[in-house]
Amino acid sequence: MKPNLTTKSEVTWCPGCPNNMILAAVRQSISKLVESGKNKHEDFAMTTDIGCHAKIFDYLNISGIYCLHGRAIPTGIGITLGNPNLKVLTFAGDGAAYAEGMAHFIHAFKYNADMTLVLHDNQSFSLTTGQPTPTSQQGYISKSEPLGVFDKPMNPIKLALAANATFIARTNARDIPHMTSTLTKAINHKGFSFVEIIQDCLIFNKDANGKDELMYKIKDNSDKKKAEKIAEEFDYNSKSGKIPLGIIYQSKEKSLAEKWPQLKKLTDKKTNWQNK
Amino acid sequence: MRLNIIIGGKAGQGINKVSNIVSNVLGKYGYFTFNYRDYQSLVRGGHNFNALSISDSPTESNDTTIDILAALDDRSVKNHKQSLKKDGMIMTAEKFENEGRNINIAIAGAVLKILGIPLIELENEIKSQFKKYEEALVSAKKGFDSQKEKFSLKKLNNKIAILSGSEAIVVGARNSEIDLYIAYPMTPATNAMHAIANKQVENNLMVFQAENEIAAASMAIGSSFAGAKTMTATSGGGFDLMGETLSLQGISGIPLTVYLASRPGPGTGVPTYTAQADLDIALRAGHGEFPRIVIAPGNPIETIEKTSEALFLAEKFKTLSIILSDKHLSESEFSSTEKPNKTPKFKITRTLPGKDIVKNSSYEVDKYGNSTEDPVLTEKNADKRTEKYNEIKKFVEKNFEMTKIHGKKNSKNLVIGWGSTSGAIKDAIKNLDAKFLQVLYCKPLSPQIKKEIKKANKVILVECNITGQLGRLIREKTGIKIENRLLKYNGRPFQSDELKTLIKNKL
Repeated sequence: MKPNLTTKSEVTWCPGCPNNMILAAVRQSISKLVESGKNKHEDFAMTTDIGCHAKIFDYLNISGIYCLHGRAIPTGIGITLGNPNLKVLTFAGDGAAYAEGMAHFIHAFKYNADMTLVLHDNQSFSLTTGQPTPTSQQGYISKSEPLGVFDKPMNPIKLALAANATFIARTNARDIPHMTSTLTKAINHKGFSFVEIIQDCLIFNKDANGKDELMYKIKDNSDKKKAEKIAEEFDYNSKSGKIPLGIIYQSKEKSLAEKWPQLKKLTDKKTNWQNK
Repeated sequence: MRLNIIIGGKAGQGINKVSNIVSNVLGKYGYFTFNYRDYQSLVRGGHNFNALSISDSPTESNDTTIDILAALDDRSVKNHKQSLKKDGMIMTAEKFENEGRNINIAIAGAVLKILGIPLIELENEIKSQFKKYEEALVSAKKGFDSQKEKFSLKKLNNKIAILSGSEAIVVGARNSEIDLYIAYPMTPATNAMHAIANKQVENNLMVFQAENEIAAASMAIGSSFAGAKTMTATSGGGFDLMGETLSLQGISGIPLTVYLASRPGPGTGVPTYTAQADLDIALRAGHGEFPRIVIAPGNPIETIEKTSEALFLAEKFKTLSIILSDKHLSESEFSSTEKPNKTPKFKITRTLPGKDIVKNSSYEVDKYGNSTEDPVLTEKNADKRTEKYNEIKKFVEKNFEMTKIHGKKNSKNLVIGWGSTSGAIKDAIKNLDAKFLQVLYCKPLSPQIKKEIKKANKVILVECNITGQLGRLIREKTGIKIENRLLKYNGRPFQSDELKTLIKNKL
């Protein structure tokens, strides 16, 4: 049966915001998984950070916690500790995960909890009116940094690879079918899956927008050396390089619930701590 | 009868083993012991000592003067000989140099001989402690035979159990069938983490070390949301980091229990010593206004009871419970013949994700659990949180022990204190015309406190902090300012004889 994934809340994203398309792709992905009988609607649980992306909490009818800024990842890991049979989706922005929550981002790959991080990257703190984030390009002028960003941006894909990520993918907020299939693969991955969605903000840091023509699709990759090369192609700074989309790296490692005997017992018995 | 022993040495020389063997043997021989551990923030060297008090009646403190100084190094003699009583004795490790790493076992044997304990008691203890005990037994006997009996302790019939505050946290948590303990190491909270991590698989629970305290608290919230009985733990500095998560608890209503074992601040302060200076943050940390429970046990038996109550109340009222302890309570080894009260058992009965759709939020929410900025709902939600606190208060007043009275019940001289200081106060007021009101629940605060203060002619506040934090709380809730204050804030706990003199001077 098709799950009802809509809510009664009024959508307050800006007209035309690509977050609407991300929401559509997330709903399609969950619908397909539920309709195919692979997962139950009640088994999905989300954590959302704070920022424009996080409003998805109000529009997506699944369980979850609307977290504090920077903490969607550890709270999501907590849900998998509390019940490793739940399907956890964590939504975070580039400000949330890379600035306020960087320690959690790096450690998430180490723990390899079975969950999916959906990272909306528009290279801007938009809900707080456009301050630069760790992935904003050099020279970006904003109200908090009127002299322009001096520093080179971080490359989160390279960081994730260095942190032994077991699933890294990139997709485009304007491409609903690609987002849907990428998210489905991420949710099906056993371990911590990281999906970066390249997204425009229509109001702030508009110079970073319009990268669609640089994007191209790659084949699913599981070669680490190759992944390192793919990760180098887009530097978040200039528009000179190409932007590869697809599964940049996937490997098979034990997930958190497979490593810890206490959690393994719960997943084997398909139960929670109450029936331990 | 009361004897005080100091066992001193360098970190790494094993003074804890000495007090451990002596306390265990004395416990089985029917004597109450109290062992305070004074150690520096270093791994090897320096000067550490244990103060071990022995009594034929319950005791939870040390005295300033000592009967036996067992010194594993010269610095221990230098530092403590001025505390010796006139007939006090010094015993050094010189005689036992050949015992190598078993010097501490020889010292334990020597102390027990001085106390007049039969050799067989020592031998039994050594056999129960070591798998390969032959070598240890030789050292213990060598120590034992090197001394003359000085105090002839006769066997008593008390059934004594020895427990530290940290171990008691674990007993309480396990009595409540805890599932997850998520923390980041910080003295003096870490010993409880070590104790619960040991045998976690056999005990059907999980201990997870997070990347920092913010993550620990966030994971605790996440796992509690998913239906696990969860606790997190830290000291003051880590608690500061958890502040935002406490606030998230307040609005989201996801049950959360935090064990806060405090030490002297501000900043890194004196990290391996003690203070009661974090009552303020336990009561107020976290932005916004929301209900919470703060419970401060004074000894391990109370810690067992209050840990279970904290977990029970957090789940029942979907609220924040804080168990407030400190280095003195968590790391000292107490002895007792008492048994804790029956555990308030509970099951999680709320709707959980996996069964239905459950939404909890850091925003104010509408009836669906989605965000709202509506003024009517904003006000209504705040009212609900306040109403919840009123319910908590009513329930706790009816069901749990919020205060205790010790000493002369009809005395007009009232001493007020809380937490680990309670031990020294209980011992200090013995034979004085005074009663001691021990505050166990700091939030909610018992209405009994005001009544007791009104009945008294003289009220004395005793705390290990510089501003009298409980005194300020009592003033806030009752309008009564306690003028007589005995405050200690050098990182060391009150000693009972020291405190007795101070109280006497106020009477």
